[in-house]
Amino acid sequence: MAIEKGQTFSGSEKVDKYRPIYYAGASGDFNPIHIDPEFGKMVGLGGAILQGLCTLAFASKTVTDWAGDPGKLKRLKCRFSAPVLMEDTISVQGTVTDVQSGRARIDLKVVNQNGVEVLQKVEAEVEA
Amino acid sequence: MAIDAKFIGKAYPSYTYEVGREKIKEYAKAIKNFDPHYLEDDFAAKSKYGTIIAPPTFAVVYGAYLIEPVFNDRDLNLNMAMLVHGEQELEFFEVVKAGDVITTGAKIVHIQNKEKLDIIAIEVQSKNQHGRDVCRGIYTFVVRK
Repeated sequence: MAIEKGQTFSGSEKVDKYRPIYYAGASGDFNPIHIDPEFGKMVGLGGAILQGLCTLAFASKTVTDWAGDPGKLKRLKCRFSAPVLMEDTISVQGTVTDVQSGRARIDLKVVNQNGVEVLQKVEAEVEA
Repeated sequence: MAIDAKFIGKAYPSYTYEVGREKIKEYAKAIKNFDPHYLEDDFAAKSKYGTIIAPPTFAVVYGAYLIEPVFNDRDLNLNMAMLVHGEQELEFFEVVKAGDVITTGAKIVHIQNKEKLDIIAIEVQSKNQHGRDVCRGIYTFVVRK
């Protein structure tokens, strides 16, 4: 696949009720804000929130699914800008902004079902 | 209390993590990523990698072993109740395979005191059993005051 500037791709993921529990088990991140809705409410988050790194993994998946080979992903960065709650749907849209010296730079928009950016400044680089 | 900027440069003891095939599968399912590179032994054996590989973001699983000691560092004395993950940066080099032995080190690279919050950034570097780089990460945390 030839990667060219301006190409776009997308993906989406539903955050099912137990996702932070699965992610906690796999990653070791058992912070109570992720697994205890009562604690999440107490600290003003409106309930348990998904681990930000799980949201980033969703964004990463959209890129590697598109690239076809997980080994092509060379860089990934983001700012965690808004909490992700259970039953949210996270949509990821990628745009190739530049292709140079064998590397494609990609900007990603990562939003919830209300259009709120849950990650910002999301950038990836893949081998072109 | 503000995080003391004198801790910029502080390094933490390295941690060696053996990457388990079933742990990769557990992680891939947890992030709802069903790519056969991570989950299907036969597919993986025939792939260019010759075995199950880890998703790129698996780096935060072995990386976490270096973040925990920072969170528990009594000198830093971070207010964990007010700490949130602000930013994450990951740079990937050699692909991580099942059975790899990854050694990771970490140091504090940035501390900034602002009026309403403090920022601390930790650089985490991982190499495989061949001494080759697999991942470099920057974890940035924000502590509200």
